[in-house]
Parts: sequence; structure tokens; C-alpha cells
Amino acid sequence: MWSLTRPDAPLGEPLLIVDDRVTGATKEVLDAGVSLGMPRREAEALAPFATVMVRDVGDETRRFESVVTAVEDLVPRVEVVSPGLLFVPVAGAVPFYGGEEALAARVAKELDALIGARRGGQAFVGIADGPFAARWAAATAQLGEPNVVADTISFLFGLDLGTLRESMGGDEMIDIFRWLGISTLGDLARLPRAPLASRFGNPGVLAHRLASGEGPMVDPRDIPLELGVEMKFEDPLESLDAVAFAGRDLAGRLLKGLRAAAVAPHTVIITAVALHGPPRERVWRSADPFTEKALSDRIWWQLQAWVETAGVPGGIVGLSIRPEDLSWEGRQLGLLSDESSMIEAERALARAQALLGPDGVVQGRAQGGRMPGERVSWSRWGEPKADLKRDPGAPWPGATPSPSPALVPPKLQPIEVEWDGGMPTRVRMGSRWEPILTWSGPWRLSPRWWADERGADRYQLVTSVGAFLCVVSEGKAFLAGVYD
Amino acid sequence: MIGVPGTGLTRLGLKLLAEHSRVAPVVALDTRGWISPEAAWETGVLPERLIVVRCDDFILWPKVTSALLEGVQAIYVEVPARIKDQDLRRLGALARARRVAVAMRSMGNGLPSGIAYLRLRALGVTWEGADRGHGKLKKRRLMLEASGKGVAGVTRRFEVEDEGTDVMRVVSDVVVDQTRRAVG
Repeated sequence: MWSLTRPDAPLGEPLLIVDDRVTGATKEVLDAGVSLGMPRREAEALAPFATVMVRDVGDETRRFESVVTAVEDLVPRVEVVSPGLLFVPVAGAVPFYGGEEALAARVAKELDALIGARRGGQAFVGIADGPFAARWAAATAQLGEPNVVADTISFLFGLDLGTLRESMGGDEMIDIFRWLGISTLGDLARLPRAPLASRFGNPGVLAHRLASGEGPMVDPRDIPLELGVEMKFEDPLESLDAVAFAGRDLAGRLLKGLRAAAVAPHTVIITAVALHGPPRERVWRSADPFTEKALSDRIWWQLQAWVETAGVPGGIVGLSIRPEDLSWEGRQLGLLSDESSMIEAERALARAQALLGPDGVVQGRAQGGRMPGERVSWSRWGEPKADLKRDPGAPWPGATPSPSPALVPPKLQPIEVEWDGGMPTRVRMGSRWEPILTWSGPWRLSPRWWADERGADRYQLVTSVGAFLCVVSEGKAFLAGVYD
Repeated sequence: MIGVPGTGLTRLGLKLLAEHSRVAPVVALDTRGWISPEAAWETGVLPERLIVVRCDDFILWPKVTSALLEGVQAIYVEVPARIKDQDLRRLGALARARRVAVAMRSMGNGLPSGIAYLRLRALGVTWEGADRGHGKLKKRRLMLEASGKGVAGVTRRFEVEDEGTDVMRVVSDVVVDQTRRAVG
């Protein structure tokens, strides 16, 4: 609750720091029933005695910079989530400091020394597998006693369901879970994931993943260097407004490039090059992919912290942003995407899925195959996509040519075709026979003998009421597609 | 959109989703489980934005459709034959209120009058490329009759041509006289 350390806060009085929701509160206020993340109006009603102050994230970031620098001196590549919360990947540092406990104790000691000198500052340190578990390991740590979690899954299973609030961005789903008798993450993790996906959609799957210790849906991969963006200034920028303006432009350019590559960043590295002194670098992390506004805010806060603490002597001559962890492609917004439309559409699809069941809302992906029905891999909407059975990039000799039939029955449908000397002449359409005007084929479909398949011939039949893809196997004709 | 399967309206309806898919997810509401996304991708619909909703229950169909109209910007909808006219009118009003682009494809005898801005009736389709065993289907021409407010109340006939890509061309636009012969 870094926001409580603001210098203009009245000493010794109950305090409530808010934006739309509660971001910080003193013990008296928390004892009155207020919790972090609670809507502001509700908190004010519960604690009318508290002094309410509006959060100033830029100022918090500037003051938090000294904490970040102190941790960074111990372990490189600190990732800031928000003022008051930072993650440190410790895999490399643990052997150096002689174990997780030793490292955590060292960090806690440094922070105590730094924050203890300030008014009301307290530092909590936790170590666990993954950011979500580590965040709650720290939250449940005692002052001066780091919480090093040995078994992350058991630790998560014992946590209250309310710990999901921060990641889910609301209470609605959590309230429903509680109403259903689910009170801990363990209760939630023991539920099967598919029904959750059908009832709650993507948020339900995310909650289940977090409760199961699977963490956010982040796909670390090598990022091509050119996806990063940078800007150089001949005249050093000393005005914060000028630097922030450049930062906003860079954020827009970065996300535009990433969208073209169908990815979005969960982590970015902001680097500022000062005229004098070494370059400054800071990693920012977000549970959701950064939007342009969210990224511009982070850049603004970070630059404000550097500029106002004289961290960039002589002014800034270069600014760059490099993306790190990227999210799954399905979560990306397109170049012209409208975020509110995406959210509304997801809600509508979740409602349709609730009505129809999980198999009622599906999404297809291209895969390899010779017949139209084989070339689509279906998966339920809102769930991780199934592995492709056949490589779409491989050559598929004998594949039915494009254009593809717009209607493809799930299974081949028997039809009646009349032949004359090996040439199709009529096809039965319901109760009437339609003459075949022309056709193409036959194209032999060589059997995969190892899969116990039979050989077949394919024809494209053209009648006065449309064209059809027909498969003939062992003297019987089947409908495989309608060119509708 | 009115016409029996084979007259080319599915691909045309899916094509109408292509532009919207650049902005937000689009939906094809499939009543038979036959719609192939491959054809939609060929017409320019972004694969990651196309969601197929399968509903073969005509009782659930109005509820599912209205749920989708509440949040999706563009939908291609197959309308089962047993859906009541008043349900369709209600859905039409909801679509207008929410400003959703809806392409309705009747699976039965048509759609009630007054719900659609533009009514397209398929008159026929011709294919080129196949020749008595040789070649392959390559190009098609749809003959359509348009009526309703979208054409200012004047019934027009026109042809649309496509080759299985995302380009569709209107190749002729003729007004027909009462004897249904082309005059210009």
C-alpha cells in the first residue's frame, strides 16, 4: 500500500486512498470492513470517519523509484507492476546469495533500511512460483519475515477466493463462486475447467488457471529486434511534457507494429538515454496486454520519476521501448480494433455459450488436409486451441481446389447420382431429379491404407440450382460440400 | 437473403462479415452445422475473428440470436423455417436499435416483409471452369434480385461475380420491366 506513504497524508489519522476503487487504507479503515479493490462509494459508506484522498499514480511512481533502484542493486531486471508492487525473477540470483531464504532476507533488510526511514513505510517480501503466487506470498508475509513458499500449489489452494479480485477486475464472478459454496482457490481449482469456460467464458478460464498455479496466459518467445521502437533527439529533452509526448508517440508506434504481428506485450522495457551518464532502463509488467493508454501511462510515470529525481542528467537524447512477454494471438486486438466492441462481443458470446453449452460456440483454424471437412480444426471458443492434427503449411497433393464449398456436412451425406457410361447425368435433389449441366473430375482420393481407408473419386457437379462436391466410393455417391 | 442452398448466398453472406472482422469478432449462426469457415476466410474474413455459433434448436434460436445482437457488430444468421414472424420482427428491431449489421438467410419460405433494409433473392447461379470432366470450378455468377428500402423501393436485378477470393464484382445492374425481360 505504497499510496499510504504520500507526504501530504495527515499523520495518525485513518486514511482512504481511492481512484474508482480503494487502492490503500490504514488499519482502522480496513477493520471497518473496507478492502482493497472495493468500489469507492461502498468504502466511503463503511468508513465515513476516514480522510479520503485521491490517488496520484505519477507521484507514487516517482517516490517508488528509489525502492525499485534499491532492489535493482541486489537483483537485476526488476519488473514494476504498479507503485508498491514489483516482481523480481530470482532464478539467477538465488545461487549467488546462497538460497531463496537468504535472498529474501537480504531484500527485506535493504527495503526496511530504506523505507523504515520514511513515514509509515513497510516492506513485505514473498517468493513463490509465478507472479500471482509471489504477489500473495508477499501479501501474507509478516513484517520483517519474508514468506518463502516451498509448495506453490498448496499455498494457492489455501488462499481466499478474494485474491482473484485484482486479476479479474471485478467482484461479480467471485460473488457467484461464493454463492456456489466455493471459498478458496483450491475449491475453484478442483472444478473441471470446461463447465467454467462455458458459464463464465474467458474470465472463468483465467480464474481457474490462476487458482491452479498456471499463471497468466503469457507466451514468452524471442522477439524480433525490429519490433522495438526508439526515438533520438538532437537537442536533449529536459521538459517532462516534451519527453512524455515523445513517449506517447512511441507507445502508439510500438503497439501498431505488434498488432501487425498479431501479438501484444505483457512486459515492456523502457530505456532512456541521458546526455550525461549511463542509460536508464526499467521493466514494466501487466497482467493484461498493454493497451496504448496503459503503456503511455507507464511511460509517463517512469519518465516523471527519472526526470524529477535527476536520473537523466543533461536531458534525454534517446528513448526506446522494447516488448518482452507476448500474449496468445487470440487475445490480440487488430489495427483498427475497438476494445469496447471486443469486450461486448465476448460477453455476448459467453451468453450464447451459456445457452447452448460449450460446443455451441466454436472457432475454426486452418489445418492441412485433402477434403474440405479435414482442413478446419475446431475448438471451443474461450478455451485453449487444440493442437493441429495436420500441418497446413505442408504440401497436400490431391487437395480439393479452391474455391471451397461454403457448406460442408459434418459427415458425408448419401446422395443419388445417375450415371451414363461413367459420366454423371442427373442428381436427386429431394423429390426431383436435376440434370447435371457439366462436371469436373474424377479426382482420385488415394486411400491411406494404414488408416483402413477406401479409395474414392471426387467430382464437382454443376446443376441449374448450384454446384456440389461429390465423393464416389465403392459405387455409392456422397455429398461432401455445397458451393453455396 | 432468400434462396435454396446452392444458389450462392452463404458465401455472399459471409463476405458481408469481412470488413467488420477487421474491427471486432463476427459471428456466423449456423443451424445445421454445415457452414465452413474456409469459405469465409477466402472471402476476406479474418480467421481469428470468425466465431461460429451452432444452434439447431428452433426454440433456443431467438434467445441465442438476441444474445448475440446485444454485443456483436456483424452476424450472418441462418433462420430456421419454424421461427415465428413476431420473433423475427422483434429481432429486427433489436438489430436496428443496436446498429448491428445482420445478414439473415432464410432456411424456409422467406422472411416477413418490412424487417430488412435490403432483400436479396437468388435467381440462379452459373459456374465456369468445369467442362465435362475437365478443369475445375473457377468462377461463378450469381443472379440476384434486390428489393426494399436499400434500392429505394425499385426492384433491381444484378449479377455478382467472384472467383473464390475476397473480391466480388457487380458485373451488371439492370432494371426489369413487368414482363421480366431486361431493358437496360
